[in-house]
Amino acid sequence: MDNVIRLKHVSKRYGSQIALNDVSLDVPPGVVFALLGENGAGKTTAIKTLLGLATPDAGSAEVLGLDSQRDGLAIRRRVGYVSERPMLYEWMTVAEIGWFTAGFYGDGYLPRYEGLVQQYGLPGGRKLKALSKGMRAKVALSLALAHEPQVLILDEPTSGLDTLVRREFLESMVDLAAAGRTVLLSSHQIGEVERVADIVAIMNHGRLVLVERLDALKEQIRELTVTLTDGASAPPTVRGEILRRRQRARQWQVLVRYLANEHLETLRGEPAIAELEARTPSLEEIFVAYLNDGREEPSPAPAQEVAAP
Amino acid sequence: MIWGIRTADMFFSIDPSDGLAIYDQIVRQVKFAVAGGAIRPGEMVPSVRELAKELAINPNTVARAYRELQAQGVLAAVRGTGLEVADGAPRHCRSQRVELIRTRLRQVLWEAKQSRLDPDEIRRLVEHELAAVEKQKV
Repeated sequence: MDNVIRLKHVSKRYGSQIALNDVSLDVPPGVVFALLGENGAGKTTAIKTLLGLATPDAGSAEVLGLDSQRDGLAIRRRVGYVSERPMLYEWMTVAEIGWFTAGFYGDGYLPRYEGLVQQYGLPGGRKLKALSKGMRAKVALSLALAHEPQVLILDEPTSGLDTLVRREFLESMVDLAAAGRTVLLSSHQIGEVERVADIVAIMNHGRLVLVERLDALKEQIRELTVTLTDGASAPPTVRGEILRRRQRARQWQVLVRYLANEHLETLRGEPAIAELEARTPSLEEIFVAYLNDGREEPSPAPAQEVAAP
Repeated sequence: MIWGIRTADMFFSIDPSDGLAIYDQIVRQVKFAVAGGAIRPGEMVPSVRELAKELAINPNTVARAYRELQAQGVLAAVRGTGLEVADGAPRHCRSQRVELIRTRLRQVLWEAKQSRLDPDEIRRLVEHELAAVEKQKV
């Protein structure tokens, strides 16, 4: 099957604010795809564009082969969507909103919704306006899951929720993925993304700066800590894509992608290098490095020439 | 006698920010559980879906760990039902455990050598620490 979600050269600005800058991405079926980025990086705009809730200035978007601009309504009916602040009819009870929403879907919807409500321990008779934030989120998730969507789209689903509710969200997400469905989630809970994602994408100021399978990414990136010998003055020349480099006295720390193993051995043999340690960084460290855009961190030492990577 | 599927009870602890890939953490923990006798030949491991949900981790990650364990002969497929611990697995896992410890020890010794400790000093250190650990056990 083709990609389930697709953005092609999408740009969008709000006034002078650039929300999306030539963003292209493809989400294959059956994966958990995580969109990482700070607030205002463009994650929500990307999701709204996919759902046909925002009109791009340029480019096109598709979900399940449907065009987001033309068939937005059809898309919204076929995917499960939970936004960060779900809009619900406040005067309805938990049971009533299920019954109401069931009217838009097939026969199985209501029993499945009721099953989820029970599973999440939600009080069926309580009005939505009287629910806690965690409970509201669970109602929104139940509504999104009850029609067994092929694609689940979650925009910051767990932000502001307590640990137990977050865990339940993650478990539901994992269970859906295990059943072969596609999940797109945006998040800044990096620890959670590290657990559940197949593919991670990092957005920064409206641009997509990285898309990679999480396991491949972890195999590609190393953090080297290099201690130079007394006489050495030049920083070590590390070949690969340098994501971050910083210096403390005679030590350099270099975060590098695509470092060849042979090159690592060569470095170890260099006379100017007294010690070299290599480790796999966490996703959080990788994320921060990408957001800083490879820029040099200010070092307390006097300025030095930096060798080209 | 009741014939049924016994699913192995074991505890996993996954640390996603650990430098070790999550699937590798699962592989190791299953091997250690087999080596230590916590799960025995013929016992089933939890299904991919169950374990993924329990640990709240990506199911493909669990599947990858299980594939690796199958390829190494630790787990074997039971037709139609799932995966069980293979017959020769405990011996194999015990020897792997030794190998794992050997690697870690080698790293520490290398570090000691780098910091210019002389061999006698290192030996004394090892003996001393070993004695301390032995004492703790009692």
